[in-house]
Amino acid sequence: MTNSFQVNSKEISKIKTTSKREKDFRIKNLNFFNKNGFPNKRHEDWKFSDLREIIYKNFKKLNTKNTSVKVKKINFIKDFDHNYVAIVNGELHSSNFKFEDKNKIKIKIFKNKNFSQENESNPLICLNHALANKGYHLEIKDNYKFKKTVIIYNLFTKDLKDSILNSRNKIKVGKNSELHTIDFIINESKHKFVNNVYENVALANNAVYKNICIQKDKSQGYFHKFSKNQLLSKSKYSTFIFPSGLRFNKLDLEFNLEGKDSECNLQSASFLNKDDHQEIKTKMNHLAPNCKSYQRVKNVLSSDGKGVYQGKIYVKNIAQKTDAYQLSKAMILSDNSEFDSKPELEIYADDVKCSHGSTSGKVDEDAIHYLMTRGLDKKESTKLLINGFLNEVIEMIKSNSVKNFVKGKLKKQIYGY
Amino acid sequence: MKNENINHNQDYKYGFTTDIESIKAPKGLSEKTIRFISKIKKEPKWMLDWRLKAFNRLKFLKEPDWQKPKFPKIDYQDLYYYSAPKGMTDKPKNLNEVDPKLIETYNKLGIPLNEQKKLSGVAVDAVFDSVSVATTFKDELTKKGIIFCPISEAIQKHSDLVKKYLGSVIPISDHYFATLNSAVFTDGSFVYIPPNTRCPMELSTYFRINASETGQFERTLIIADKGSYVSYLEGCTAPMRDENQLHAANVELIALDDAEIKYSTVQNWYPGDKNGVGGIYNFVTKRGACRGKNSKISWTQVETGSAITWKYPSCILQGDNSIGEFYSIAITNNHQKADTGTKMIHLGKNTKSKIISKGISAGKADNTYRGLVDIGRKALNSRNYTQCDSLLMGNKCGAHTVPYIKNKNSSSTIEHEATTSKINEEQLFYCNQRGLDQEEAVSLIVNGFCKDVLQQLPMEFAVEAQKLVGISLEGSVG
Amino acid sequence: MLEIKNLTASINNRDILKGLNISIKPGELHAIMGPNGSGKSTLANVLSGKNGYKISGEIRYEGKDLKEMSVDKRAQKGIFLAFQYPIEIPGVNTNNFLKTSLNKVRKARGEKEIDTMSFLKLLKEKSSELGIDEKMMSRQLNLGFSGGEKKKNEILQMKILKPNFVILDETDSGLDIDALKIVANGVNSYRDKKKSFLVITHYQRLLDYIKPDFVHVLSDGKIVKSGCMELAEELEKKGYNKIK
Repeated sequence: MTNSFQVNSKEISKIKTTSKREKDFRIKNLNFFNKNGFPNKRHEDWKFSDLREIIYKNFKKLNTKNTSVKVKKINFIKDFDHNYVAIVNGELHSSNFKFEDKNKIKIKIFKNKNFSQENESNPLICLNHALANKGYHLEIKDNYKFKKTVIIYNLFTKDLKDSILNSRNKIKVGKNSELHTIDFIINESKHKFVNNVYENVALANNAVYKNICIQKDKSQGYFHKFSKNQLLSKSKYSTFIFPSGLRFNKLDLEFNLEGKDSECNLQSASFLNKDDHQEIKTKMNHLAPNCKSYQRVKNVLSSDGKGVYQGKIYVKNIAQKTDAYQLSKAMILSDNSEFDSKPELEIYADDVKCSHGSTSGKVDEDAIHYLMTRGLDKKESTKLLINGFLNEVIEMIKSNSVKNFVKGKLKKQIYGY
Repeated sequence: MKNENINHNQDYKYGFTTDIESIKAPKGLSEKTIRFISKIKKEPKWMLDWRLKAFNRLKFLKEPDWQKPKFPKIDYQDLYYYSAPKGMTDKPKNLNEVDPKLIETYNKLGIPLNEQKKLSGVAVDAVFDSVSVATTFKDELTKKGIIFCPISEAIQKHSDLVKKYLGSVIPISDHYFATLNSAVFTDGSFVYIPPNTRCPMELSTYFRINASETGQFERTLIIADKGSYVSYLEGCTAPMRDENQLHAANVELIALDDAEIKYSTVQNWYPGDKNGVGGIYNFVTKRGACRGKNSKISWTQVETGSAITWKYPSCILQGDNSIGEFYSIAITNNHQKADTGTKMIHLGKNTKSKIISKGISAGKADNTYRGLVDIGRKALNSRNYTQCDSLLMGNKCGAHTVPYIKNKNSSSTIEHEATTSKINEEQLFYCNQRGLDQEEAVSLIVNGFCKDVLQQLPMEFAVEAQKLVGISLEGSVG
Repeated sequence: MLEIKNLTASINNRDILKGLNISIKPGELHAIMGPNGSGKSTLANVLSGKNGYKISGEIRYEGKDLKEMSVDKRAQKGIFLAFQYPIEIPGVNTNNFLKTSLNKVRKARGEKEIDTMSFLKLLKEKSSELGIDEKMMSRQLNLGFSGGEKKKNEILQMKILKPNFVILDETDSGLDIDALKIVANGVNSYRDKKKSFLVITHYQRLLDYIKPDFVHVLSDGKIVKSGCMELAEELEKKGYNKIK
């Protein structure tokens, strides 16, 4: 089958390239995308999310042209003090680190300098390699702990229509440093568009990085993010993902626990409703001894919502004393919704503790009955249970102000949509 | 490559060869070979046409490559597809006509065939390379209307049943190896249990590969008519040879309303030597259809042999209230590789499935559980419970779990759990302190680990299987 | 029976036993008392041959050096350790385990294997002595057993395997008074002039029921004081700190 969403190689000439190597790299990757097109369910990694079918159904064409980045006003969150970075349609717009020591922080437009990467088999990553021309690079120097959270406002403007945005971001946290971020996604476009992000997070020895990712509204976006994360010795990475509300959303997250005693914690809670299709795919690579990883993914599915979780734990033979756990739970409310999972273990070391669990099923009828005997109607009871089911993840957030903020947003997803 | 075995694997006690003259089909895979097989089996034309149809489809198929164990390219033109001991082309009417060497072979394997010595309570169909040598207890079964015979005989004598059900669970061109089997299958067992009949004894087929450079392609078809019950056992061994031999069987089970089939396998094909030379490629397609309401199919397998095991005994739960079960032990040692599991396809309402898998990996072996649980939109109120436990011995081996789980309605529940661990040092110490040596302690603990599966086996086989678990792991600790 | 000279043991470079001497003759029952962390359980483990310890000094059992002997060989030669925390082994039938174990020990003694009928008879007799419900024996080994059931099961194994030298590692811990009496009676009925015991305990309580011939106080990896029953009573009154 030929790829009807081919991108003309002239597009690459429009991108400011620094070297011939860069240009060749981009062309090589574009050729791969043009040849293979959007991935379909015949790709093992896309078995449960046939992106080709989804794109063909919803788009006639896709344009790669740059969009305007003018925004009148950003509605900043007023619930708590924070630093911010504003990204508009993938492009770095502005930033403010008024609570921090500015000498310790570097932020600039991202430039890809690493072209020697191995061949990718995911056509979307190739497309990003070929066309990415925006994004940010945030670097925290050694021995610096942030005083306040950084909110990364990801704005998508009204004029996005049939666009495909390709951006790359990188965050580097230096030795003994600590950074907390919240990715906050605000979408003003009423039209369909594709957002394709490549992200890198690198944690040096003993660094701590905590991240929360949340959508403000339901939107017409089709999102794909590939994120490759490096954890060096004794570093800690924690991420909370509340990604509901997109037409399509695939988060492909790879964590490389390269240093001894590093730890990774990933938790997610989503309420997936009409027209939502969401996949979280993780690859937890235990490459050094004594590392810990914990994953918990919870989904509530309503209407024709579809949720997918593909989580893999890989343990290299030298990674003895690994402690890895993975849990996915889904509550299915409608006969039109679907939950698929593939919790995978690939283990080559014997002195390890690795386990996973995956359950999916209906809402607890006994609990509903109990609540109804207390005077709640069925709908209210169900909502209360859903809230409780998802709140379990939110309760793990330490900061009260952030926790309450996230709770408010999630409640809106459950009640509002 | 064609030498008789030169590597001595002490642990494999079934590794002897029987020196017997055989009749073979022309070497290689061709229409000529298929016509040869069909002719020598005196098959009706519809059967030959069926085989040729499969052969034509095969030309458009490729060997699957998604499984974890990779294997060197198989030269299908360098194999014999039919090999039978001389004088066996017409099935002997009684044991006096059977070559004493064959009877001796089965005696050595612990499967006596003569009337005086035959196992009580177990009817045996003994398959040697491409033909069935003998079937015991035939008369007693016939009285109850039970058909238990080689499939080649069934094709001639019960062709309406064969025609109706053959290929109805595993379509003629399901995948490469299943299609290959459809084209060249030689023998295997056929079982039909009439309505409301409980089969009074265990039915068993014992497969033996003897000839070199020969693939074994058996086909088994079991039909349990309404309200009937049957328990069927399958055992397998092969001589030690330093070539890899292909075994690509198809097994189809059909359970009608209220019927139950229990299918147990103790697979002990030659696993190859300690360096990974030789051994059987065990590429088997097993599938059961719970076609009727309230029907039940239960698979139990103990997989200890073969260089590569690659099979997924599955259940298609079509009938409302039907039940599918899969109990598996897969032990891999030295260079063995196993990629095994099941598929539970829920289509009917109130269907239930249960999967218990125990994988044990030692030496440089790789052991993968791969399974699918798919609860369809219309399979309301269905349930699945899956538990996969892996045990690793040493850090040169691998244990992998690859489940695919799909739930498509709001009244069904799926629960999946998996763990990976090593043998607990404290448990070993406790056993040692009570006087058990290291290997006995390991065998005991591993047998305990496998108990949920072992207790599913019929008594006669459970004891044998327990011993096999211990033997398979010999030399893996220390 | 058992001769220990200048025994030291360390694990992960941490010294636990630091030159321990003890001599136990046939028919004697020695009690070792000591505070937490004094090395009591390490002594039990080292005598049974558990891996992971670096040891020096001399351990002679019935005149032979024990140090190179594996755990199972020691057990076959009649050394029995009643565990402080008996290990749970899922899927393994208690009955079956005990029969396998008994046959190993019998074989080492040059006796022939016991058949199932005689074994079950023996088991029935010994369990009723200890007030053990026979049904317990068909359950999985130690799985879901209460603390008391586990300890009784250890004593039952002792009585069936008939060892010459028995180490009781904190057998009294986790027992109520009724169970304690049953366990003590089990041990007492097994005492004779050929068998020796090493009873490791934190409290005097057990020794009220199992009378020791000698009492030793273990502290920081050494025996700091030896005496008779009076020493145990003194310890109970004054506490370990006063004795040194």
